Amino acid sequence: MSPAPSCRIELAQASVSIPPSDPRIKESKTILAPLSLTLTQQRIAVIGANGSGKSTFLRLINGLVLPTTGTVEVNGRSTHREAAAVRRSVGFVFTDPLSQLVMPTPQEDIELSLRRAKLSKKERREQALAILHEYRLEHLAQSSIYELSGGERQLTALATVLAVVPDILVLDEPSTLLDLRNTRLLMERLAALPQQIILSTHDLALAATFERVLVMDQGALVFDGDPHQGVAAYRELAG
Amino acid sequence: MRGHAHLVAGYVPGSSPLHRMRLGLKATLLFAVAVLALGSPIISTRVGAVVTTLTLLAVMVAHFVAGLGWHRMWRAIRLMLIFLILIAGYQWWQHGPWVAWQVMAAIVATVLASNVLTSTTPVDELLDGLAAVVKPLERFGADPERFSLTVALMLRSIPFVIGAFGDVRDAARARGLERNLLARSLPVVIATVGYARATGEALAARGLGDPEDDDASRP
Repeated sequence: MSPAPSCRIELAQASVSIPPSDPRIKESKTILAPLSLTLTQQRIAVIGANGSGKSTFLRLINGLVLPTTGTVEVNGRSTHREAAAVRRSVGFVFTDPLSQLVMPTPQEDIELSLRRAKLSKKERREQALAILHEYRLEHLAQSSIYELSGGERQLTALATVLAVVPDILVLDEPSTLLDLRNTRLLMERLAALPQQIILSTHDLALAATFERVLVMDQGALVFDGDPHQGVAAYRELAG
Repeated sequence: MRGHAHLVAGYVPGSSPLHRMRLGLKATLLFAVAVLALGSPIISTRVGAVVTTLTLLAVMVAHFVAGLGWHRMWRAIRLMLIFLILIAGYQWWQHGPWVAWQVMAAIVATVLASNVLTSTTPVDELLDGLAAVVKPLERFGADPERFSLTVALMLRSIPFVIGAFGDVRDAARARGLERNLLARSLPVVIATVGYARATGEALAARGLGDPEDDDASRP
């Protein structure tokens, strides 16, 4: 299976709010204000301060978070009605790869991803080793995930997600825990991918290289467009 | 979080007879070790001690045949050493040296045998085996894939929880709170709940645990 040549993510008045923790307060808390936009570009960056709603926005795309109001559709599939199908087509990479890798070793984790593909045990093993080789991680195939460096873990997490060839890749601040060298390595890998990529980051230089930038602030989209203008808008917001 | 992966015997690649042995046979042998070690004292105390000793020796031979070495064996025993000494001391006091030895040897034999099984079987194969065991229960609503995944997650979580204990202990020590039970336990609970949530989210993001045709059933 190869990635879809073009993907379309549509949010129509999608908002997220949570019930108040204090029972005396009646109004729910808005995490993400109603948002309508269509994402078709291959490289989209999401920037904004901590707590601005970036992670919630990204989680809306693969159905990890369902909109309280409005709809989210990925290639025509609703995240609400067709959650499993959406998750199969949208790979998600978390900030901390340790919470993402659920098996003891990289090879076993990739094999776990491949279980959905209904391959034989031998095929799963061969494919997992091929993927590890592709990411130059074959020497770590049998290492404990606890023994990997931060960069190796994040590359492994990326490999486990890409093993099932998603159409879209969503990454939530994937370089936050990485040093400069590993960040560069990760970004080189991402640049070479054919998938549509939507990535949140605090690296403004990186965001400026994308096709489109979304700036979030206090749960609302405050800028959508040219990367350089977006970065400038964010700098202005941050003071 | 520091790693404590060594506490759960992970797969050690190799080509020994035990590595090549079918999982079903290995599981049967493990079961036999447990029956011999735990059931033989029913005949008599002396018979139990002798049978358990022979079983332990056989398990130790299997351990070395699998190419696992002294270091790995000592690591497994060291982890339960305090409990073994306490249990043996109590049994000696209550029932004498034969029983004390038999109980201790039975625990070591079964733990080492299960270590041999997990060290010579890739987790993926273990998951397939578990799924096969649960397969007959599918007609009663059991989900074999989900069951095997749950067991894998349980194994994966043990090093995390132990690591969290270590980190919290060090943090409490740094603040001079090493004797404060609350400072040493509450953060572990919070970290573990956070870990469980993060793992659940990661599984959902990867579509693991999703029923194959759940989309049709959604409103």
